[in-house]
Amino acid sequence: MVQHQRLKNRPMPQSPTKPPFAKIILASFAFFLFCMCVSPVAFAKVFNAQTLTLDNGLQIVVVNNKRSPVITHMIWYKVGAADEQAGFSGMAHYLEHLLFKGTDKYEPGEFSRTVKRYGGNDNAFTSYDFTAYFQSIGKEHLEKMMIMEADRMLNAAPPPEHYASEKQVVLEERRQNTENDPRSLFNEQMRSIMFVNHPYGTPVIGWMDEIKTYEWNDVKAFYDRWYAPNNAIVIISGDVTMDDVKPIAEKTYGILPVKDIPSKTRPVLPPSYALTTLSKSHPAIHEPSFQKIFLGPSYASNRQEALALDILQEILSGGPTTRLYKSLVVDQKIAISAGMASSSDALDFGTLWLYGTPSAGISLPDLEKAIEAEVQNIIQNGVTDQEVADAILRMQDAAIFARDSLSGPAMIIGRAMTTGQSLDEIENWPQDIAKITAEDVKAVAAKYLNPSVPYHRAPVTGYLTPQAGDLAGDKE
Amino acid sequence: MRILFCLFILLCTPIIANAQERVLDIQEVVSASGIKAWLIEDESLPIISLEFSFKGAGSINESLDQQGVSKLLSNMLDEGAGDLDSQAFQKALSDHSISLSFSGSRDHFGGQVKTLSRHKDKAFNLLSMALSSPRFDSEPLERMKKSNISRIKSSLTDPDWIAARLQNDLIYKGHPYAQNSGGTISTLELISADDLRAYKDKYLTRNRLIVSAAGDIDAKELALILDQIFQSIPENELSHKEVPFKPQTGTYLYSKDIPQTIIEISYPAFDRNDPDYYAAQVFNYIFGGGGFGSRLMEEVREKQGLTYGIYSGFSFLDQAQNLSISTSTQNDKVDDVLKIINQEIEKIQNTPVGGDELQNAKDYLIGSVPLTLTSTDKISGTALGMLSNARPIDYLDTYGDKIGAITSEDIQRVARRILIKENQTIVFVGQPQSAIKTNAITEIPNVQ
Repeated sequence: MVQHQRLKNRPMPQSPTKPPFAKIILASFAFFLFCMCVSPVAFAKVFNAQTLTLDNGLQIVVVNNKRSPVITHMIWYKVGAADEQAGFSGMAHYLEHLLFKGTDKYEPGEFSRTVKRYGGNDNAFTSYDFTAYFQSIGKEHLEKMMIMEADRMLNAAPPPEHYASEKQVVLEERRQNTENDPRSLFNEQMRSIMFVNHPYGTPVIGWMDEIKTYEWNDVKAFYDRWYAPNNAIVIISGDVTMDDVKPIAEKTYGILPVKDIPSKTRPVLPPSYALTTLSKSHPAIHEPSFQKIFLGPSYASNRQEALALDILQEILSGGPTTRLYKSLVVDQKIAISAGMASSSDALDFGTLWLYGTPSAGISLPDLEKAIEAEVQNIIQNGVTDQEVADAILRMQDAAIFARDSLSGPAMIIGRAMTTGQSLDEIENWPQDIAKITAEDVKAVAAKYLNPSVPYHRAPVTGYLTPQAGDLAGDKE
Repeated sequence: MRILFCLFILLCTPIIANAQERVLDIQEVVSASGIKAWLIEDESLPIISLEFSFKGAGSINESLDQQGVSKLLSNMLDEGAGDLDSQAFQKALSDHSISLSFSGSRDHFGGQVKTLSRHKDKAFNLLSMALSSPRFDSEPLERMKKSNISRIKSSLTDPDWIAARLQNDLIYKGHPYAQNSGGTISTLELISADDLRAYKDKYLTRNRLIVSAAGDIDAKELALILDQIFQSIPENELSHKEVPFKPQTGTYLYSKDIPQTIIEISYPAFDRNDPDYYAAQVFNYIFGGGGFGSRLMEEVREKQGLTYGIYSGFSFLDQAQNLSISTSTQNDKVDDVLKIINQEIEKIQNTPVGGDELQNAKDYLIGSVPLTLTSTDKISGTALGMLSNARPIDYLDTYGDKIGAITSEDIQRVARRILIKENQTIVFVGQPQSAIKTNAITEIPNVQ
């Protein structure tokens, strides 16, 4: 069923059902693969993006797409919820909301109203490592967008009555997306156990009781510390080239002063060795589910392993003919769904999730055993060369489809570049993924998905179940 | 049927008025056997999207004890065809990176194939097989049933889903639209392969077919493809039946232990061919359809901080049309939110919309059209939407003039026609602390 349409200021907490970044990002150019064995010369980049850095350190990236006379203009700040001080959870996200509440020059809401009047749409989102703001609009309005976005980088001045009411909005947002849904709450608690002492364990939107405590002066200090041209990337995707963009960027963003950006010193994630299982029976749950979270590599921490994990995920969980679904759902019939999701787009740590919904009469521990047996099979026996080749081809094809979008390329590039990847790495992804071998895949499975020899953190297992006697749950 | 649907209507209909240049260069293509399609050629990427719909073949045709049959059919058409069983068919799709999907709505039954140019022959061949010789094998059928039942149970956790289910049940009382188009736990169990075959033969017929295509394909090739895919589909008589129904008005509560109450308010509206259709677009944008800047969002969220979001939107089904207002707020603020909504209703009915506000709304509705035409499948989808709504091929070129002509009197008239208190159906899901008298609903209909 349909949920709320995309809402402004929506945080993007990680979830096991979300397709991992690599699946979307993909590199493109499947044609290349055919010629590669013959002559590894031709070089197709994913997006053919142009880039330059202004004197004040602001990086500009342009992806040309002539399909319609429109653009998506995004600014990505390299700061997010993981950069908040302890006790101030949700502040990065609250700040994002407040940046729609006016500056010295613009009234509260005037930014969005202006965008709308020009036939455009705007929005923003916050995650652990980044905060991004964007508008999709006719290309002739790029200068106005840059003027307003440059102003918002340094001159936010929300009136007091607005930052009070906006706090209430954020609390309603948390009620809507988290408190009203036991699955979201459970997911939040899974993360908090995996990332003890590290900010990735704190929800992006913040804890209910902490959101209520901080004031504008606290938020302003965070804003002044992190929002600067030399801590941001501007990405324009659409019917413009760097020749069009450069002079406008220079006179809008280019005049902004450089700041000293503090280095990111985040709390450590201490090792753990004890297996943890969270279980909850809840009256609002009518369908049991299993999930298990493992610590993984990120593209920033180990690109080679992250690439191999993308292939592993495609082989385990890339569709109805790949291992987990085929074995558990089609052949053994012990699950209604089963999968693996990896998320490697993070500055510090990636995460890997195994998940599934059991068939009637199958217990969650039995489902868990069956899923782990598939993983163990790979750890012991590896995967076939054919599986790897098929996965590579599918992922490269997906990259061609990734270009078929106005804002998609800007989203992919921004997310990757604010979590430690370079533009070249994004562009060369198809070549790099094609170098992954069956041995690499087996090695990352053994390193990250073996519960008896966990990598740095023991995995956290979750069982979410209906209450005994539940009508819908007992039927069937 | 909440907000995305409204957004779809908002985005899919409007367009720019530019006398010289067409907003979307649509060609009509006719195959040798007479099958028509609208085509928008674009060679900028090696991608083709082809979409089609069988008009009137949606869940409106389902009997009470066959709820979900069209949904299950949409799941089963790509689960094996011809000499390919389920796994072989799915592997052929994934080995060639082909996206093939079918979907039923309340009125129609549609499908889409999206492929890279280099795999187009395979893609069209698989689609043709799916439509002409689906297998409906028992293994995937049982699997799809279980998956749907699981989906329903999972949805029961979602208060938005519950509110939408109850709203449909109330506002379409007595009409097939009130049924659960996703099926119920008991009806899904009983649907057989023969039921799927019978439904397909009766409703997925060539005289109901509309087709659009976009991307890296030309008219000549498309004409050949149309016959290859659709020519073998037989025709069948159309059985159009208008079903009378009576919306249940009043306020209804499904009590659920959550901190925030879901609020759905619905009013009967009018159809797409009503002279006030264009005025209704502008009215809705100003009232609550426009997100930020709309009156409801400004008052309830931006000024009072009472919600994360509030929207209004139209649903235009063939036999029923509604305007809905959707929001959520903490349990003890429900009456505060309703009070503001009622103030805004009175205001838009009694005070003419100011010149700037009206002009800004028109500027958005007209100016945002190019944003809906930015990907291959958005373009084919826009064209199919126009065909489905029986719009002329130059619809997008004249839309701007029609929107531009709307006056503040038009807005006021639409507000008075639709926002009538006696016609109102309100659904709460949550534990509202409200002074409003409600009718308690204890069981969600058409789920078990």
